[in-house]
Amino acid sequence: MAVRETPGFRTALAAAVAGGLLLAGPTAPGLTTAAAASSGTTLRVAMDGSGVDTLNPFTAYFNGALDIFGTIYPSLTTIDDNGAPKPYLATSWTLSDDQLTWTFKLREGLKWSDGKPLTAEDAAWTLHLIMTDDVAGTANSTLVSDFESVTATDATTLVIKTKKPKANVTYSSIPISGIPIVPKHIWQSQVKNLRNYKNDTFPVVGYGPWILTEYKNGQYAKFDANKSFVLGAPKYDHLIEQIYKETDAAVAALKSGQLDYISGINATEYSSLQHVDGVRTAQAVGHGWVGLELNPGAKTRTGKPIGTGNPALADPVLRRAIALSVDKKTLVTKVLNGQGQVAEGYLPPAWPQWNWQPDPGKKQSYDPAAANKLLDKAGYKKGSDGIRIDPKTDKPLNLRLGIHSDDAADAAISRYLVGWFKAIGINAKIQAMSMSALNSDLGKGNWDMLMDAWTTGPDPTYQLGIQSCTTLPKDDGTGGNTDSFFCDPAYEKLFAKQATLFDPAERAEVVGQMQEILYDADVDIMFYNGTTKIAYSAKADGLVTGKPNADGFYPAQTAFWSYLKATPGSSSDSSSGGGNTGLWLGIGAAVIVLGAGVAVVRRRAGADDRE
Amino acid sequence: MTAAQTATAALPTRFAGARRFARAFRGRPSGVAGLVILIAFSVLALAAPLFIGDEQLDVTKVDGPLLAPPSADYPLGTDQSGRSVLLLLIWGSRESLRIGVIATVLTVVFGSAVGIIAGHYGGFVGRILMQVTDWFIALPSLPLAISLAAVLGQGSMSITIAIAVTSWTATARLVRAQTLAVEARPFVERARALGAGDRQIMTQQVLPNVMPLILVSSTLTVAGSLLSEATLTFLGLGNPADVTWGEMLHEAFFGGAFTAGAWWFLVPPGLAILAVVLAFTLTGRAVEYVLDPRMEKK
Repeated sequence: MAVRETPGFRTALAAAVAGGLLLAGPTAPGLTTAAAASSGTTLRVAMDGSGVDTLNPFTAYFNGALDIFGTIYPSLTTIDDNGAPKPYLATSWTLSDDQLTWTFKLREGLKWSDGKPLTAEDAAWTLHLIMTDDVAGTANSTLVSDFESVTATDATTLVIKTKKPKANVTYSSIPISGIPIVPKHIWQSQVKNLRNYKNDTFPVVGYGPWILTEYKNGQYAKFDANKSFVLGAPKYDHLIEQIYKETDAAVAALKSGQLDYISGINATEYSSLQHVDGVRTAQAVGHGWVGLELNPGAKTRTGKPIGTGNPALADPVLRRAIALSVDKKTLVTKVLNGQGQVAEGYLPPAWPQWNWQPDPGKKQSYDPAAANKLLDKAGYKKGSDGIRIDPKTDKPLNLRLGIHSDDAADAAISRYLVGWFKAIGINAKIQAMSMSALNSDLGKGNWDMLMDAWTTGPDPTYQLGIQSCTTLPKDDGTGGNTDSFFCDPAYEKLFAKQATLFDPAERAEVVGQMQEILYDADVDIMFYNGTTKIAYSAKADGLVTGKPNADGFYPAQTAFWSYLKATPGSSSDSSSGGGNTGLWLGIGAAVIVLGAGVAVVRRRAGADDRE
Repeated sequence: MTAAQTATAALPTRFAGARRFARAFRGRPSGVAGLVILIAFSVLALAAPLFIGDEQLDVTKVDGPLLAPPSADYPLGTDQSGRSVLLLLIWGSRESLRIGVIATVLTVVFGSAVGIIAGHYGGFVGRILMQVTDWFIALPSLPLAISLAAVLGQGSMSITIAIAVTSWTATARLVRAQTLAVEARPFVERARALGAGDRQIMTQQVLPNVMPLILVSSTLTVAGSLLSEATLTFLGLGNPADVTWGEMLHEAFFGGAFTAGAWWFLVPPGLAILAVVLAFTLTGRAVEYVLDPRMEKK
């Protein structure tokens, strides 16, 4: 599953934060409603900044909600450090010779948290509902596209038939980014009312490392550990996901010992936490990219040109020159503070099995002189103002550069781009737009250059699919889902081929060739893969999973594994923020003193009245 | 009779008034201080292109340390891209002041026109105009400005318009009240009796008499506009390629300078906004005091 990053949520947050800041000042975070911990050890983590839109897994989109589903509902498979599927509910799976029938063997004897048996029927019912019911398919229907049927032949056997060979079936139901399996006996009666069903009867019946016991909108979600969890019991007794409107507030909570884990802090917060006692930091390789799209001439599926894109960009020479004019290393060091990798391939380093790097000889490195030479040769003469003239239209190269108005990194990058483009004779005009305005312009082809960012799950199908000709809009402008109006017959063939390759190595080979085609086309210029930055309390061990690579970056982290593998450190019998006892005592004392003072004053007033 | 006296006598009364005004203004130290600050900022803003160029502002050309504290080379430290905060601050005054002043001119021209017309015609026209004004007053200005800036596209132009659209109402109300007061005076009646038309009364009789009020109101509006500009750009509605004080605050806050403890990037633009807004307010108050005969008596 791939997600176009949605800074839209962040705008709302930014506005809220700005408002809050003006009203309350930066002291508020320490006093946000902290969920009280019950007996036993408690792991306190900051929820993903997007929060929870709904607890209904059929209709929820926000990452905060998906993290919760990943820990309270089971899935068929889970993902290892390398990004490959491995057993969860299913212990093994086989594929028929015609490559259309998958048979999953499920574990025996598992029970939902209310004691009812968890069988293949639950999985079949959930997947079938998503395939057949429009509302149930709201969030996840793309994951079951091309499914012909899903049936439970007995309590431990699930059979999935697909309409055509589909190599990514084992990625359809994985924790967090895949489909969560829900208990049929609970959900069956809600099907009619699915759109409005809030799923807020606690504890929520499910199966996973954790059981959701309480959720307060905008404040926190509380979980109890499932000590009989099949992949190993959580070491903590309780889990609290605290909601923070702004990561700055979460960072303050971590510093004061009220929080154990934050994922996704920004670069400056990361640097500021590196020398704080009791706080450890780590970086995980990025599962997304930030880059620039060049409009190669927007067309519909039938080849009808649409939009107001500058025709000059249809020239591959100009696009190559633009690619050569960008100094990705500077972006990594100056915009990212070195916390990321220069990106070349289209799929991010978080999923090593799909990673592709260009041959050293074909690598496009920063070289403005070469870019200028290319343009000179192709007849782009410089005008008196230093801006080159497009030889085909005799117009100067004035290109629009659309950026996300609510993204600080976009803004920072765009200032560099303007400078670099100027150096090769291109005048870029920054247009900061809201996420929705930007995407609307994109779909209509009304753009020249756009900053774009995507995050990708372990299965690359969707991410590769948005570069396919089939995602171009129809002639009436609808039905488009294209990333940048890229359309290439060779790519198209490979895209169809990779879906039928069931050997991971063979599939990776083809996916690599597809990335090479994209790289050479210079339509989507990758800039960098920023790391996911994590800060966690020294009182908890095992929160960061896997081993660091040569750059010191850990493999991609998921809430599923991190919270499951976390163990309370020796120094903490309870992590309920003992460091704050003094503060609370102080506040309590202050309240008593104030209250006493008020009482005395009031009594005096009363005495005056009586006289 | 000396030559100088002759010259004075020959001057039109208008200049004599200006002199009287200057003398009275000098008697208000806070107003003078405000004016000095304003002049200092204006001179800096106008002279900035003489010593600041692409080399200091283009992020691809600067080579300073990233987010470094103040030093001899960088008196106010550097930002996240290695640019000198001092130079950004000076350059930022250009755009900030320009947006503030243009928005104010738009506000004052539109607001005064509505106010005078509503006050002069009264009746149906006046009621309609005032109802429109009330309607705009009732609209929450910040969300309106944000949505306007979003609709018009981002950048200084749309911010200017957004400020003007949301702040003309105060001027309109003020001017209408003064217009009503002026029109009740006998000289207006006399002019009307002598056959002056609506336009003549509005431009020849009323306008000169509400002018002092407009002047005072506009100095105060500039202060408000500067603040609105900073607010809107801080909220991310500006053009990131522009350098303004609000934009600097935006970058500092959302780029994490706040968490990194980089006070040198946050404090200067904040103080600059404070200084200029205060200067406009002080000047405005002083002008108001000097022009308002009732206040002079106190």
